[in-house]
Amino acid sequence: MIFTAPLLLLALLALPALYFLLRATPPAPLTQRFPAVSLLLGLKRTEETPARTPWWLLLLRLVAAGLIVIGLAGPVLTASRAPLGAAGPVLLVVDNGWAAGPGWAARMAAAEGVLGRAERGRRAVALLTTAPGPAGEAPSAQAPRAAGLVRSMLAALRPMPWPTDRHAALAALSKVPEGPVFYVADGVAGADDRGFAQALASHGPVTILAPAAPAPLLSVRAAPGGLVARVRVPASRVGRQMQVLAETGDGTLIGPTAVSIAPGAREGEANVALPQELRNQLSALRLAGLPGAGSVALLDESARRRPVGMMGGGGADAPLLGSLYYVERALAPTAELRHGTIGALLARPLSMLVLADRPLAGPEAARVGAWVEQGGLLVRFAGPALAAAPDGLLPVRLLEGDRALGGAMSWSRPVALAPFPRGPFAGLPVPAEVTVSRQVLADPASVAAAEVWARLRDGTPLVTAARRGRGEIVLFSVTANADWSNLPLSGLFVSMLDRLVSRSAGIEAVSPSQRMAPAQVLDGEGVLGEPNPAAVGFIAGAIGQVAISPLHPPGFYGPAHDRVALNLGDRIVPAAMEAVPGAVVEGLAQAPRDVRLGPAAVALAVALLLGDFLATLGIAGLLRPVAVSLLLLAAAGGARAEESPALATHIAYVLTGDPEVDRISKLGLEGLGDYVNDRTAAVLAAPAPVVPGRDDLSFYPLLYWPVTANATLSPSGVAALNDYMRHGGVILIDTESGGGSFAPGADAALKRVSEGLQIPALAPLTGQHVLAHAFYLLSDFPGRYDGATVWIAKDQDRSNDDVSPVIIGSNDWAAAWAEDEDGRPLFATIPGGQRQRVLAFRFGVNLVMYALTGNYKGDQVHVPAILERLGQ
Amino acid sequence: MVAAERVAATVAQGVHGRRRVGVGDSFWQYRPFVEGDAASRIDWRRSARSDRAYVRDMEWEAAQTVCLWRDGSASMDWRSGKGLPEKRERAELLLLAVASLLFRAGEQVRLIGVPGRVFRGRGATRPLAESVAVLREGVPAPASLPGWSRAVLFSDFLGDLEAVRAAVGRLASQHVRGHLVQVLDPAEIALPYAGRVRFLGLEHEGAALISRVEAARGAYRAALAERQAALREIAARAGFGFLLHVTDAPPEGALLALYSALAHPVAAA
Repeated sequence: MIFTAPLLLLALLALPALYFLLRATPPAPLTQRFPAVSLLLGLKRTEETPARTPWWLLLLRLVAAGLIVIGLAGPVLTASRAPLGAAGPVLLVVDNGWAAGPGWAARMAAAEGVLGRAERGRRAVALLTTAPGPAGEAPSAQAPRAAGLVRSMLAALRPMPWPTDRHAALAALSKVPEGPVFYVADGVAGADDRGFAQALASHGPVTILAPAAPAPLLSVRAAPGGLVARVRVPASRVGRQMQVLAETGDGTLIGPTAVSIAPGAREGEANVALPQELRNQLSALRLAGLPGAGSVALLDESARRRPVGMMGGGGADAPLLGSLYYVERALAPTAELRHGTIGALLARPLSMLVLADRPLAGPEAARVGAWVEQGGLLVRFAGPALAAAPDGLLPVRLLEGDRALGGAMSWSRPVALAPFPRGPFAGLPVPAEVTVSRQVLADPASVAAAEVWARLRDGTPLVTAARRGRGEIVLFSVTANADWSNLPLSGLFVSMLDRLVSRSAGIEAVSPSQRMAPAQVLDGEGVLGEPNPAAVGFIAGAIGQVAISPLHPPGFYGPAHDRVALNLGDRIVPAAMEAVPGAVVEGLAQAPRDVRLGPAAVALAVALLLGDFLATLGIAGLLRPVAVSLLLLAAAGGARAEESPALATHIAYVLTGDPEVDRISKLGLEGLGDYVNDRTAAVLAAPAPVVPGRDDLSFYPLLYWPVTANATLSPSGVAALNDYMRHGGVILIDTESGGGSFAPGADAALKRVSEGLQIPALAPLTGQHVLAHAFYLLSDFPGRYDGATVWIAKDQDRSNDDVSPVIIGSNDWAAAWAEDEDGRPLFATIPGGQRQRVLAFRFGVNLVMYALTGNYKGDQVHVPAILERLGQ
Repeated sequence: MVAAERVAATVAQGVHGRRRVGVGDSFWQYRPFVEGDAASRIDWRRSARSDRAYVRDMEWEAAQTVCLWRDGSASMDWRSGKGLPEKRERAELLLLAVASLLFRAGEQVRLIGVPGRVFRGRGATRPLAESVAVLREGVPAPASLPGWSRAVLFSDFLGDLEAVRAAVGRLASQHVRGHLVQVLDPAEIALPYAGRVRFLGLEHEGAALISRVEAARGAYRAALAERQAALREIAARAGFGFLLHVTDAPPEGALLALYSALAHPVAAA
């Protein structure tokens, strides 16, 4: 143990003085007025008043004072007394590549521990970082200097988003005099690891401080139905669990999705299933709790979905034969598909419009034409109808009629496709089995003005395209079903449509020669920011060959509307680092660390002084009153929390024992309460959960009882509910089954639990009933479901003010009323619509009014008659 | 005063059955008219039923005078807790309640320390209360009292014992018998304090610093018992009775005991 401020220990010399001072001062007595003091004065001889503090109190205070002095002197318990090994300056090597991002603080703490040891050993320290700097400078070693100076350099050190360059570090290593080596490693392999490891081993005794689990690497790819997050790690003996968060462009985090890597496995995958709208907004996936460039997978346009409208001729939806059948199946995994009329489709933003054998004429043609001019991508498939009535929205002029190849009356054979020329389909493999047996023909004169994206072997254009304004029109000269060719049956068709979709949305396809300048790059902690000084762009066509380095850090590249993501996860295969021969490996957690005892000593002193305070109170006889008053205060505080349910109007709901159902009941009645409070003079407090037979029901005018399939009711509960109904309570029994189909078994359960209940004869609730016009005029009474009959007492009981004691339905009203904290409904209404929810709330308002005011509205019917009679 | 009336009412009811009939202005007997009776005393209603004239006699006794006093010293203005009455308050309550009972029984009351004033009749409780409020002496002042009257002294008797002895002796010499009622706070009996306490007197007796009150409790109780024994001895010598009343006890009990003791003559000294 050492002291950082040993001079302060001199203050311990003052303790004896303190001892005499404390000894001479007895604790102040409590003063008490007392009439019989003369009797006490007579006693004075028998009891000697001690003029001195009790010895144990004195000891307590002295120990406390001593602890304060020692604590302020800054004792430090040095965990490792091990010498730093060989002579020479200490070489501290820190991996600061992307893999050091997760757990950077722990690495810095470990490095700090090494500095502390070097400082105590009065050894110079040389710092060597292995990753290139942000300006692209190669790793370099500083000349050995005092540990205190290195500490400030260490504090300025940040992880870099690119891999380490141990080869360059090797060159820097040779400039450092030999000595012990401490290597804060990231555990991930890099270039020329072996040479670096050997150089370290020959430099001096090596201690490796490495985390137990190296940093994982996240990558993402689009898949049918969502995104697939893939996490790769160097092979590891233990399994790992990670959480993937999806991040939208405005920073909202969605998720998490769990990814697990089995023991021994090198990677794990998880499907990130998200609603389409959200998927289109995503900008990145992240590994939760692991900040680092490798833990972020940026999403560019290639992962986005684009809405595609489609429309075909008659019978377009027929399986296997319909004109849109294959298009739909090809696009569904990667695009959002919409059907409808031209007007409906173009009413919303659309990236691409597919028209299969559908001639356009009149206002439709004008509408589509305008849309294309504004940047839409119109994809048309030929067919008999189009061949008969070609219109103007085609890239080429069609010759009348079509060409048939390989028919029964023809010598020719179906023709296969030629390799794709330059264009969006360039590079797609052409399967030999794809043939075309019939097609429409373009006027050769007009083909010259259009682009030909695909040809048959005989040179006939198959896919032609032409620009119109900012948009494009693409024509497939065959049908979109298998009538004219087997192209729609092949995988090629899917790839072609995918390329078309990614070309759409008004986005210029990146020309391979375009230079992609860095727009936003990740830093070593996985945060997007300004590009580092060294970052330069690359040619779009060469993105496959770009290696992540200070020149090309991971991030977004290219113009704002056409960003391309460069991800570490797509470029690097993580592997375990080469072992350094003869090195001692320590975990980051076990790295020797100094323990500062000062704060603990001072805290102990404060605790002792508190004890001294209590002891003084005890000597003065005040301990018990203080404790009692504190207890009383606590009890008073606790007692105040209890509030009688009679002080406000509460609606109650019966607890079912199913927490989800109870939660919906609570949220539903809260939502209804808000609605009622907003719109009526009734003021409802928070809904109260009750158990019939246990809680007193007499405070609640209305009881909501969701009956689930496994509902039970105790005999005491039956008695309580009967009593409740007899004395004017209203029970809304809801089987939440929507007429039986949504919650099987609930009706049987209702029969079971209502056996002992005195339910009057029931009749369907109609618009004539008071309940239907207690506040709003209602003719049906939907909840989450609509249409199920609602039952109410048939005969009106004068003794109970004509109020039906029970209302039985299955429309799941609580779910319709349930809202989250922001007032948004939690459950969709079925069949749906805002109107149904409004009606559900109105039914609730009527119900509350009915329970609170009885047949008041029924009496209102007679008001004109009464007024008339009064007038006479 | 209202409290005194209320307490007195409960006691009056409590002793009603045992009370001798005819005390006060109630009917005693009819007796034949004799020479010397005033004609106005003839009860005509009774006389009309026979040939002779009758006079209605009421029970008439010369009213007993009871001399009351309560300690007015500062030590009486004390209570140990919020729920308790001060000793002076309780002593006044008892005094007025006794007086109220006495007024109902037709007795008359004097206050020692308020010379020349005699209170009697049911309405006298209020003027008595006003007079009691000004009593300030710590010891009954020497006064000439009607012989053979009764005296009730309310005090905590924590002051000078010799002064008490002298005052009681003075009363005894005037053939006054009576009672000493010691009114004490429960804290003065139990000494419920703990720890190191400096006790301050209320009448400048000085301060007693006790380091551990718990330890001194036994000795204190012994001293208190000794004081009470001395008081009993003073009382017995003068033919007085001695009663102890603690302020946390209901006043009715003390009043009943006191009233019974007043109703039955003290054992002749």
